[in-house]
Amino acid sequence: MNTTIVPILPFLMSGDPSLEALPDHLAEVASLGIGTVELGVPHSDPIADGPVLQAAAHRAIGRGTTLVKIFDKINTIKNIPDVVLFSYFNPLLRMGAEGLLQHLRESPVKALLVVDLPDSEEPDFEAALREGGYPLVPLLAPTTTGSRVRRLLEARPDPGPGACFARRFAYVVARLGVTGTGGETPLAPVARRVAALQGITGRPLAVGFGLSDPGALEAVRAMGATPVVGSALVQALHEGQGLGTFLRPRIGQ
Amino acid sequence: MPFELPTRFGTPGLGGCYAPETLLQPLLDLEAAYLSALGDAVFQAELRRELKDFVGRPTPLTPAPRLAQALGLDSLWLKREDLAHTGAHKINNALGQALLARRMGKGEVIAETGAGQHGVATASACARLGLRCTVYMGITDMARQAPNVSRMRFFGAEVVPVESGQGTLKEAVNEALRAWAARCDSAHYILGSALGPHPFPTIVRGFQRVIGEEARAQVLEQSGVLPDLVIACAGGGSNGLGLLLPFLEDPCRLLAVEAGGHGEALGEHAARLFGGEVGVLHGCKTLVLQDAQGWTAETASISAGLDYPALGPELAALALEGRVEVRRASDQEALEGALELCRAEGILPALESSHALAGLRGLAREGVGSVLLGLSGRGDKDLATFQSRLDQSF
Ligand SMILES: Cc1ncc(COP(=O)(O)O)c(C=O)c1O
Repeated sequence: MNTTIVPILPFLMSGDPSLEALPDHLAEVASLGIGTVELGVPHSDPIADGPVLQAAAHRAIGRGTTLVKIFDKINTIKNIPDVVLFSYFNPLLRMGAEGLLQHLRESPVKALLVVDLPDSEEPDFEAALREGGYPLVPLLAPTTTGSRVRRLLEARPDPGPGACFARRFAYVVARLGVTGTGGETPLAPVARRVAALQGITGRPLAVGFGLSDPGALEAVRAMGATPVVGSALVQALHEGQGLGTFLRPRIGQ
Repeated sequence: MPFELPTRFGTPGLGGCYAPETLLQPLLDLEAAYLSALGDAVFQAELRRELKDFVGRPTPLTPAPRLAQALGLDSLWLKREDLAHTGAHKINNALGQALLARRMGKGEVIAETGAGQHGVATASACARLGLRCTVYMGITDMARQAPNVSRMRFFGAEVVPVESGQGTLKEAVNEALRAWAARCDSAHYILGSALGPHPFPTIVRGFQRVIGEEARAQVLEQSGVLPDLVIACAGGGSNGLGLLLPFLEDPCRLLAVEAGGHGEALGEHAARLFGGEVGVLHGCKTLVLQDAQGWTAETASISAGLDYPALGPELAALALEGRVEVRRASDQEALEGALELCRAEGILPALESSHALAGLRGLAREGVGSVLLGLSGRGDKDLATFQSRLDQSF
């Protein structure tokens, strides 16, 4: 796990295509040998997401998906990958750190990725989660300067090689803008950033935003990083494609 | 956060910077540019000159004796932001931030708009400074504020329709934030109210303070005493803070009026103090109309500029601390307030400002004698709504 690169980090939107389908999807991810999955909590105002994930979140909300129902669903599954819970801050704030921790303790969630929560904004909330064993994933954007990178990696530190990928990795935002596949993400600048980051930190890196075709994913792996596939997978599932059918060619199977 | 200015307001600690990482450096750069502009005499001189020669400041303070009498007040003064260029207070901030954009070397400006007043003001300031301008506007608002859509396009701005959700201001802000994340290397985002992640609330109210500074000096000059009460409408809170803040240390009651819409249930109004709870929306922690899941609630108001689920963090903090009283006026009360001003003083107010006018009712009974009211904008943009709602009464 620590020496070989995690081949892919798939993103699923809870409640889309349906909450009922989630256990099967997670089991299928596990059976493909994929150890970690990013699981989205739908939000009404997903300001960091493009049209595909916005629509998926709104469909999920329309179907009555709630944070509690998501926990109820994933806490009953046996064969399940490590989960990185992806959310905007307000639904978590609404539940409260204590309530959230109670749900987390019975869940396969290992870490949280909160897109609109910089490390210094809610120190008490974040400390409660971290002390409970649920670190927040640091995000590194194309606009993040070198000194800021160091600060962010320190603020959300690597628990070390003994810990699972979900608790260790930093998320490299591949390009400016929001999630989604609108246009190819140019990979040369990403490769340069990843190489620079690997000179600063030994922790695993995941790269996401605008990645979908097998060639681009392979290119990210060649950088020594884990590609994240979100919008393209969510759209494929929405259109009725099988999860395995979509993911297999993207992990060389 | 390595910001220099305080990012939080009041004892409730509202505000902050809940932004995606991509926007953090642009926000840090913006704060730095703002601070350097504050200390730059050349920038300040240009801002003052443009506010005078282009915007038409100082705007008048108009006594409204006939309306005062009808309401049982001793005296009523109107701070006439409706007479500012493009017809509302929004130009104060749009111009200031457009100058900042140019100073930062940004050739493009992004903006959101609800009533269209901020969009028109931004489009106008960008035309004047030679900046490219893209305005995001919900489709519902484009329909109900159609004249402003035309004005923005005349000024050379691109107006991008936002179709998601209710097609109002909240969705326009979502889309503008997304657009900024994609183009933050070349574009500045001019947020139109005292909202959003730090440093926007501080910058916007900084450029709007001129309203209250002028008004305070004018009312002292014209009457020799401070008013008992100062009142403004509150969407995000920019005209409200701009008018009220210079009176904060004075023995005046301060009142902000929110949109009461057409009912008391969640979804029927935009009264955040009445129905909101502390949460995070659009990059700041403040009073937000939301449901049990932490999802933003729908809102309703006859006035596009007040039809927004969050109150700006600084105004919300002042409200929670009790320094600013917050009330609500319904759609119907706002229409009546507008008609009263038309009949008594010959001034057609914006539907937003009409909520402040509606807030005047009953003040005399509370023992208020003199009132200073922020007339944030003019009502030409709202003629279609006035016609459909009021024509039957003629
Ligand atoms: C004339 C007028 N007044 C008031 C507002 C409300 O905004 P704020 O509360 O930021 O002043 C608007 C917003 O569009 C407006 O156009």
